[in-house]
Amino acid sequence: MTTGSFAWRGATIPFHPGESVASALMRAGVLQLGQDGAGCRLRYFCGIGACQSCLVSVGGTIVEACLTPAGDDLNIKAVEDEDG
Amino acid sequence: MAEPAISSFDVLVIGGGAAGVAAAAELASAGLSVALAEQRPTLGGAYHRQPVGGSARQLRGQRQWLRLLRGLAGAGVEQRLGHVFIGLESDGIAMLDDRAARRIRSIKARALVIAVGAIERVLPRPGWQLDGVMTSGGLQMLLKETGGVPPGDLLIAGSGPLNVAVAADLIRLGRPPVAVIENGNPFARPGAALRLAAHPGLVAEAARHLARLASARVPWLRGSALAAIERRDGRLRATVRMPGGGSRMFAADIVALHDGIRPNAFGLPAETQAQPIVVRAGDCREALGIRAAVADGRHAARQVAAMLAGTVRDGSADRKIGRQRRAQAILHELFRPVDGYGLAALPDDTILCRCEGRTVGDLRLMLAETDAPGLREIKLNGRFGMGLCQGRFCADAVRDMVAAARPAVDGGASGPLSRDRWPLRPASIAALAADDELQEGK
Ligand SMILES: Cc1cc2nc3c(=O)[nH]c(=O)nc-3n(C[C@H](O)[C@H](O)[C@H](O)COP(=O)(O)OP(=O)(O)OC[C@H]3O[C@@H](n4cnc5c(N)ncnc54)[C@H](O)[C@@H]3O)c2cc1C
Ligand code: FES
Repeated sequence: MTTGSFAWRGATIPFHPGESVASALMRAGVLQLGQDGAGCRLRYFCGIGACQSCLVSVGGTIVEACLTPAGDDLNIKAVEDEDG
Repeated sequence: MAEPAISSFDVLVIGGGAAGVAAAAELASAGLSVALAEQRPTLGGAYHRQPVGGSARQLRGQRQWLRLLRGLAGAGVEQRLGHVFIGLESDGIAMLDDRAARRIRSIKARALVIAVGAIERVLPRPGWQLDGVMTSGGLQMLLKETGGVPPGDLLIAGSGPLNVAVAADLIRLGRPPVAVIENGNPFARPGAALRLAAHPGLVAEAARHLARLASARVPWLRGSALAAIERRDGRLRATVRMPGGGSRMFAADIVALHDGIRPNAFGLPAETQAQPIVVRAGDCREALGIRAAVADGRHAARQVAAMLAGTVRDGSADRKIGRQRRAQAILHELFRPVDGYGLAALPDDTILCRCEGRTVGDLRLMLAETDAPGLREIKLNGRFGMGLCQGRFCADAVRDMVAAARPAVDGGASGPLSRDRWPLRPASIAALAADDELQEGK
C-alpha cells in the first residue's frame, strides 16, 4: 500500500490513500485534538460524524476529522491554533 | 463551470448505508430519478464501512453489500458522495454541504428518504470526556477503515453485544483488550436466553465472539460497571465496580464505551405525506440493526413510490422487520444492566453535556429550584442539548434524570432536547459563507 503524509501541528502524519484524517491521527497515537471555542477538549469519539468532538481546521474550514479524507501535504491545524 | 443552482430529482435519499442504498436502488428501478447523498467519501454506512487502499481483508456481510451495490449501479442512481445533508429550507429545497467543493448544493425533490442510521448510546460517567475515551463503534470504525489499532492498551466497557464483537475483532487483529466490562449479565437471564434460540444467526455470532474471548483469556466481567475514568501518569485509570461490591482498577490508553444503539433522529425534518414527502428508513427510523436495514429501506422506497403515484400502499411492514424487532427486544433484556443505569449515583462534577461543558450537578441544581424549570428552560437556560452535537450524546441521560426527579414532566419519545430545525450540522455553517459566492455567480 502506498502512503502519503499530512502535517498536524508541526508533526508529519502518514496515511493510506482514502483514509480519514481521524484514522491516520489515531494510528499515530494523536488522541488530543486541542480545544474548541467553548474550552472543551476535542478528541475522536463516535467515528461517524455525530458527536462533533473531532473538529479540526483544514485550509481554514472547520470539519469533522472522522469524515474528512486525508490528503497529501495538507496542513491540518487544531481549531484553537486557527483562532490564533 | 456552469452548473444549475438547483438540481431536481423525483427522490433524494440521504445516507449511503444499507438502508439508503437499498431504498435508492428500489426507487430507481421503479423508474424514478434518484439522487443519493452520503456525507462520507464512500458508501457503506456503519455496518458496511469499507477498508481503504484496496485492503483485501474479509469483511462480515460483504456478499450482501456487493449485491446491494450492483443493484445501485444497474439502476442509474446519481451518487453525491461527500455531501452532508444540513436541512430542508422552508420552500422544501434540501441543502447539501459539498465538502470537496466547499459549496452548498440545493436539491429540489418530490420526496426525501432519510436513512442517516443510528448513534450509540453512551451513558455519562466521570471522565468520559477525556481524550482516549471513544465509543466502541468509533473504535470499530478505525479497525474497519485500515485494520490498524491505535497504540496502547484498550479497555471496553458498557453494555451490549457490540462490545463483545469489537473485543473479538481486536483479538483477531492481535490486540486483545485488557477486559470487557459488562453492566448486564446475560447468563443470569435464562428466559431471554431461551427466546434467543429462535434467532440462530444471532446465537451463532455470539458464540463465535465469546469463544474468541475465552481462548484469548480476555475477561468478560458481567454485572460490573465502569464507575470512573481518570488521567494518571499519561494513561487512563478506570475504576470498575464489581458485582460483590468491591472495585478493581484497570490501566489503559484507550477506553471504549458503548451502552446500546438508538436512532440518529436529531434535527431531522418531520415525516410527512405532503410534498416534499419525507419518510425515514433503516436505523434512523427504528434501531433494528443490519438484518432489518435493507428490508426497511426497500419498504420505505415502495411507500414513497406509491405516494408519488397517488396510490395507497398497505402500510404493514415486512415480516423481516417484525422478526428483528423481537430479536432486539430479547437482546435488550439479556443485556439489561444488573444495577440500573446508575445516573442517581453520579458525582455532581460528572460532565453530562460535553459540548457545553455542563455537569450533572448543574442539572440537579436546576431541578431542585423551587420554581422548577420546564424542559424548554432546561434547554435554553441550562444549555443542555444546545451544543454542537445537538443533544445526540446527552439528551437521553438528561431526559432520564428529569423524569426521575419530576415524573410529571413528559419528555416525549424523542427526548426534551431534540431540535427539528436546520442546520442539522452546525459545522457546515462555515461552508454557508461560500454559498454567497454561489449566489453571486448565479
Ligand atoms: C458506530 C456504529 C457501529 C455499528 N456496528 C454494528 C455492528 O458491528 N453490527 C451490527 O449488526 N450493527 C452495527 N451497528 C448498527 C448499524 O447502524 C446497522 O446495523 C446498520 O448499519 C444500519 O444501516 P442504516 O443504513 O440504517 O444506517 P448506517 O449504516 O448507519 O448508514 C447511515 C449513513 O448515513 C450517513 N449520514 C448520516 N448523517 C448524514 C447527513 N447529515 N448527510 C449525509 N449522510 C449522512 C452516514 O455517513 C452513513 O453512511 C452499528 C452502528 C453504529 C452507529
Ligand atoms: S468522532 Fe464524532 S464527529 Fe468525528
